[in-house]
Amino acid sequence: MTTTLDTPVLAGEEREARPRRRSPLDRERPAVRVAAWVTIIVFGGFALLPVYWMLATALTPDGKVFAYPPALFPADVTFEHFASLAGNSQLFDYLVNSAIVSGVTAVLSVIVSAYMAYSFSKYRYRGRRSLMYLVLSSQMFPQALLLVTLYAVFDAYDLLNTYTALVLSFTTFTLPLCVWMLKGFFDTIPDSLIEAARIDGASQLRIIHSVIVPLSVPGLVAAGLFAFVRGWNDFIFALTLAGPDKQTLPPGLANTYLGEAQTAWPELMAASLVVSLPVVIAFIALQRFLVGGITAGAVKG
Amino acid sequence: MTTAYSRRRMLQFLGAAGLGAAGLAACAPAPKETEPLAADDPKANEKTFSFASWTLNEEAGKPVVQGLLDTITTKDGLTVNPVSYPYNEYLNQLTLQVRGDKLVGAAQLDIAWLGALAALGKLRDLGDAAKDGGYTSTALESGQYEGKQLGLPWTTGAIGLVTNKELLSRAGITEFPETIEDFEAALVELKGLGGGVVPYAASTKVAQLKDILFWMKTFGCTLLDGDRVTIGDDASVEAVTWYKKLYDQKLIAPDVDRFDARALFGQGRAAIYDDAIVGKGAVIKDSPDKQLADKLDPVARPVLKSGDDPQAQLWGHVIVVVEGEAANTATSFARWLTSDQAATDEFFAKLALPPTTEKGLASDAVANDPFTKAFSERITKTASQNPFWRFPEYAQMETVIAEQVQAVLIGSSSPADAMTTAGEQVQALVK
Repeated sequence: MTTTLDTPVLAGEEREARPRRRSPLDRERPAVRVAAWVTIIVFGGFALLPVYWMLATALTPDGKVFAYPPALFPADVTFEHFASLAGNSQLFDYLVNSAIVSGVTAVLSVIVSAYMAYSFSKYRYRGRRSLMYLVLSSQMFPQALLLVTLYAVFDAYDLLNTYTALVLSFTTFTLPLCVWMLKGFFDTIPDSLIEAARIDGASQLRIIHSVIVPLSVPGLVAAGLFAFVRGWNDFIFALTLAGPDKQTLPPGLANTYLGEAQTAWPELMAASLVVSLPVVIAFIALQRFLVGGITAGAVKG
Repeated sequence: MTTAYSRRRMLQFLGAAGLGAAGLAACAPAPKETEPLAADDPKANEKTFSFASWTLNEEAGKPVVQGLLDTITTKDGLTVNPVSYPYNEYLNQLTLQVRGDKLVGAAQLDIAWLGALAALGKLRDLGDAAKDGGYTSTALESGQYEGKQLGLPWTTGAIGLVTNKELLSRAGITEFPETIEDFEAALVELKGLGGGVVPYAASTKVAQLKDILFWMKTFGCTLLDGDRVTIGDDASVEAVTWYKKLYDQKLIAPDVDRFDARALFGQGRAAIYDDAIVGKGAVIKDSPDKQLADKLDPVARPVLKSGDDPQAQLWGHVIVVVEGEAANTATSFARWLTSDQAATDEFFAKLALPPTTEKGLASDAVANDPFTKAFSERITKTASQNPFWRFPEYAQMETVIAEQVQAVLIGSSSPADAMTTAGEQVQALVK
């Protein structure tokens, strides 16, 4: 914020005439600017082409989906595949299940991993490093191996086909990365802040909740988003551990549109686009936290 | 943050991971064979059971199968709990369910999967139920495993060649060639049509290159002799050499699997491709040519010498019953579903999948359907099972062979070397 008291208030045309602030890119030489834009377009195209292809397929009539040579822009456009979604109430059930499971996974992962990460970051005790590695080592197992074991464990506790089974299994996989991500974040918070709070008489829980957590919001959001996306995208655990009533979107979409001899690609693309919207909106809203949260702790002086 | 990890630390790290893995593996349940309940055990006659079926997911099949379930529910006062998974994940999910004793009742099965599921030792022998069901011998064979009738056939067909009559006619081919030599000449004629038409959209991607097994059989390779793998013999090498020749002459195209072949065929850009009878609906639905259904013509696979039996891989679905609770009820259900005249008529009328009983095949609906009739007479009649299906590792075996054939196609291996390697690798998987 650089506003000073003696800056005159501009009105109307004067305000419009004021030159806009130049971005760092504008100040570069033309060749550098061109290179930067080419890079943005190439990488942007690389990232967005699949999304565009989904949209184009969703808008293409059935008989023309496999037209050869494939057309980048559909010659005929139909909205029937989007309209057909309205008649499929099961998709909404899948969406609700996904939101519940991913949301609870995100919250649970953040809560548990925040306490673990705080302990790893701010305390020194025997076995700390071994515990940290043990947490990380759970990332090294092939998920298929854990699936069989988790299936037996959840079966023994009668948890199959419940939200609990999905949340617990997703949290198992999100915790290691969340813990390490948050540990890196907490490492950047000066110990002097904690000392000061302690001198002021704050209890350990008070320090965590009133000092550490408010300073760590970007990290917590980033970890939460990571856990949410992990839960949202999972296919094999959701398919295996959840029955038809608790099934989430990825297996739900596969169940609905993938057949033995045929895949309803346009309908599948339309459904995938529509159900992606909530996550896209959440990302746009929270992306400033995401970038800050993930990179925090990456560079330390 | 830069952390240096010592060798000791890394060993501790790996040790912890290994310990965890061993602990988790120890928690996994071991499969055990299920003892059959006595026929008069009330548990075996429970009226509530599950029916697992991937068709219950599919847009076209779901209302048909659900309708049949509703019929039996009303008729016999049963409660059938439907269970469904996508086709590509079905076997894994069903294996978990059956292995963990979570599935009580019956399940639809692709005939290729029978060996893998039978290995769990949980399936009931349905020999008695099959005896007077009126099934054809080919259909019954599709549900047999090591001398036991573990599945009742629901639909039986084969994977064979399907042609586009119009394209063949445009190339001047009025009668489909009987021998491989004539077939190759016909493919050259079809290539002459130009316009990017692929004469034969044969599988060239690993996922479906297993189709070549029946070309190997055509050339005289038995694939398996007892427990001895015969891939690597002269006939298999000859078959792969011929396939490579078609590839080099662009009579078959690179990077084609079943879905690509259907797409090319549906667009009128392939004259011949391999498919099961179930693929017809998909090809027609996705084709811009509304008259394509009338142009489809299933043909017998060409043979090496005139008079040989054409080779085709058996294809079909069977119903298996899991031994234990409600097994008697599920057996009666499986028999009704697969052999009741009204049920099989309904199944054929709505899904065009051929029935498995003599009576069903003789019905007017089937007899008057030219595609099904031709498919049955020209392809299914001489079809046989893939001999590798009896091994639970059959999918690995097919992949090993497919990878070696692909190595030949892309020129990184000779047919002789590739087939020798394939034979050795498959032999190692035979137990």
